[in-house]
Amino acid sequence: MNQEAKKVANNLYGRVNMPAIERCRVSFCTDLEKSVLMSNFERRGWNQVGPDDEWNFYWASTQTCRNLFSVESGYRMNDNQMINHFPNHYELSRKDLLVKNIKRYRKELEREGNPLAEKAEVVLHGGQVVTRYVHLDFIPVTFVLPADYNMFVEEYRKSPQSTWIMKPCGKSQGTGIFLINKLSKLKKWSREAKTPFHPQLSKESYVISRYIDNPLLIGGKKFDLRLYVLVTSFRPLKAYLFQLGFCRFCTVKYDTSVTELDNMYVHLTNVSVQKHGGDYNNIHGGKMTVQNLRLYLEGTKGRAVTDKLFSAIQWLIVHSLKGVSSVMANDRHCFECYGYDIIIDNQLKPWLVEVNASPSLTSTTVNDRILKYKLIDNILSVVFPPDGVPDVRWNKLPSAEALGNFDLLIDEELLEKEEPSSSSGRGAKPNKAR
Amino acid sequence: MDGVKEEVIHQTALKLAEEIKNLSIYKSFYNDVQKLVASPNVKKEDFKQTLQQAMKEKGLDTKLRNTVFHWVRTQSKQNKLDPLTSLSKASAQWEKRIHKSLNSMCSDLETSLAKIRPQSEQDELADKWNELSTYNLDLTKYRPVYAPKDFLEVLLTLSGYVPFTREDEPKWEFAHLPLQVKTLDQIRKLYLEWSSGEPLLGANPHMASAVPGFVTLEAERVSLGERVAALGYAPVVQEYLKKGSPQCLRAKLWAQVLGSEIKGQQITYFNQLKKSVLEVDLMIDKLIFKDVQLTASNDDQYFVFEDVLYQVMLCFSRDCDVMQQLKGSIGSPLTVTIKGKQTSTDSLTVFPPSGVIPFHGFTMYATPFCYLYDDPVQLYYTFRAFYIRYWHRLHYISTHPQGIVSLCLLYERLLEANEPLLWIHFRNININPIRVVFKWLMRAFSGHLPPDQLLLLWDAILGYDCLEILPLLALAILSFRKENIFQVNTLQNVDAVLADLSTISVIPLLQLALMRA
Repeated sequence: MNQEAKKVANNLYGRVNMPAIERCRVSFCTDLEKSVLMSNFERRGWNQVGPDDEWNFYWASTQTCRNLFSVESGYRMNDNQMINHFPNHYELSRKDLLVKNIKRYRKELEREGNPLAEKAEVVLHGGQVVTRYVHLDFIPVTFVLPADYNMFVEEYRKSPQSTWIMKPCGKSQGTGIFLINKLSKLKKWSREAKTPFHPQLSKESYVISRYIDNPLLIGGKKFDLRLYVLVTSFRPLKAYLFQLGFCRFCTVKYDTSVTELDNMYVHLTNVSVQKHGGDYNNIHGGKMTVQNLRLYLEGTKGRAVTDKLFSAIQWLIVHSLKGVSSVMANDRHCFECYGYDIIIDNQLKPWLVEVNASPSLTSTTVNDRILKYKLIDNILSVVFPPDGVPDVRWNKLPSAEALGNFDLLIDEELLEKEEPSSSSGRGAKPNKAR
Repeated sequence: MDGVKEEVIHQTALKLAEEIKNLSIYKSFYNDVQKLVASPNVKKEDFKQTLQQAMKEKGLDTKLRNTVFHWVRTQSKQNKLDPLTSLSKASAQWEKRIHKSLNSMCSDLETSLAKIRPQSEQDELADKWNELSTYNLDLTKYRPVYAPKDFLEVLLTLSGYVPFTREDEPKWEFAHLPLQVKTLDQIRKLYLEWSSGEPLLGANPHMASAVPGFVTLEAERVSLGERVAALGYAPVVQEYLKKGSPQCLRAKLWAQVLGSEIKGQQITYFNQLKKSVLEVDLMIDKLIFKDVQLTASNDDQYFVFEDVLYQVMLCFSRDCDVMQQLKGSIGSPLTVTIKGKQTSTDSLTVFPPSGVIPFHGFTMYATPFCYLYDDPVQLYYTFRAFYIRYWHRLHYISTHPQGIVSLCLLYERLLEANEPLLWIHFRNININPIRVVFKWLMRAFSGHLPPDQLLLLWDAILGYDCLEILPLLALAILSFRKENIFQVNTLQNVDAVLADLSTISVIPLLQLALMRA
């Protein structure tokens, strides 16, 4: 496949004059030679070029994107160029920044006296009484280390029986993550860590979150949800939820006993971790569709709680995006597809674990490949204007047909049109995804 | 004429009154009625009226009606002797082959069909009961006893003698078997609500409801379904299921229509079955483990539920109620000695106690229930009721109109009569049309359709209380994909055209097939 594209690109370079029709053809560049991408680009008859050439569409790595948008590069994109990342996507995808942004967002709403920021007292299952946001409590209590170490200790002491999960901010795929259930263990870790744990000296920062120790189990196994969210603009916010998501199951039964604390196969649902477990099956890859999850929940727990859960998931996504919308560089050339990782607890409450700006496009199973192929296909039809040529001037209002398997989550521009008197569209009106 | 009918009803009532005393609910039911009689609401002067009224209020009326309903359903013509000797002969021969195969597997592997399980093994099994997927067994040398394709070969040889056959005409039609099956018109009459175009939940849940007060058909059905479930009267539930059930009510409705709702008694019985599994090691256990691993554990729709499935399938194998209720329909099961037990009356066991030897894919009869029931006991009883009422007919040879032989014949007849071009195409490329759909029929489409579609199909099986919808669906799918089938001429390629059913919308497809004038 790749050779063909290269051949086509070479032929074009050889020509001196391009016929009028060819001039309209889309040129793409990609840092990632994944089959789900290449087959989609080729199907559209695009020709592949290098990063230094005139590209219309760039499926870039986050590093490339950062370079392109950096002040030093001086690169100026024209109106017919689109790229698949926002310049400062890390506001959403870095664990520490995500937490900071959401905390700030909530505080702002509180200051404004917005009813969304309503707080109430909650009794934890250990008996402790804490204050939580009623409507915006979708991230577990999290602190950035080493900066918030003292705040963390204070919170920790409130419920000393709890387990906490340590995650390095800049890593992915489950690398470097571990659980602690004793403060002494954390101190031990900091002593043993390569970089000394001094706030001023440490380069690596971590987040430490309250571990969700009561996850919803199906078949006795823990799972998390991977959902794809496409954002074509942050101000006004335009976001779309892909209907085809999946649950990633741990290959081993969930066990909260202390001995299992170190068994990453039980706790982490990342496929890259599970793949190396003894029971990994590469026919299904431990993945179940979100549709089947919904079917199961409706069948065993009833309609009302299932609908409530899925609404809460949409709510969570919308507010996480609103939380960063003010700090995101809303470059017109950009769109981004995020991989949302969500855990559902046994009260059927969803929790945001993290947001990935470069969700994996590797396929682990046949169904996986089909899903990711459709994902890319639908992303392209949503972000491109109806004539299929990138143009930043278009109104970014995809037709129902162009959406494909995407459901509109929120479009603040449309909301403004419907209710011009509403204040800055803070209240989300998510469409019900089915 | 009425007089005769009255007489029949009277006789049936007498018979029922006698047999009801043997039913397990009788004792507690009688006690409840006695309590009512002692209450002030029931008056001696107007005994019949007041008692009936009081029973209605207490829900005993519904209970009794349900009991009668379920009893009547089990009384249906039980063939004591299969009128077609060729079929009963073939069935006996097949059974012999299966038993032989089991015995030879057993001696090859130098094990016993049945033996007492050593205590350490019992403990380990009990320990891992809720996560049997972690119970390690070396199953490499075990093979399923038979697979659908083996069974199909047996059915195809039921051909027998075809008087007028040309030299090169393959002997593979079921049509010469003297069994009567329905025509499409007759099926249309049977599925009356569908063929008259009534709105079905599985066709378009979001369409506008014709009933005032409800926005969508789905909302209307949910509301009606809740009332039906609350009433709990089985024949009404059955009627309701004809037009499809919302997923949130299915678990309850299915249990009601099958009479499989569980109480303490059932939980105790299930635990006894578990105990049997622990105590006696049957070779069938290895086959069960193997089957779950080969099918459910590899299926992306069901792998999550594998642990429950182990429990359900193992307990099923020990359930002699199954053999009891299916007497006459499942041949004569093997009886073996339990190694390690003193020679006595209970050192013999039917192998397995349920009388049913599983084949490759047998687990798939149970997997869809995982989307309805969390509790293994409730799951077990509903699955068991389905098996006793329907599924066993799909893998035993009989002349029963709902049996697999009749269903194959029905499929053939429908195909020839309603898709003649396809029929001819199959003949031209020398493929027996039953080959491409048999695995669907034998498994009632489980594992071939996604669960949400499958559950809608099984609603219809319950609602109309028959399996004829299976060959009808097979026909409808073939018809839907006929253009692609015309393009190919090998069995492999036809299979490829039909391999992926994930985009099939079962109910609209069926309704379309039924509505065509």
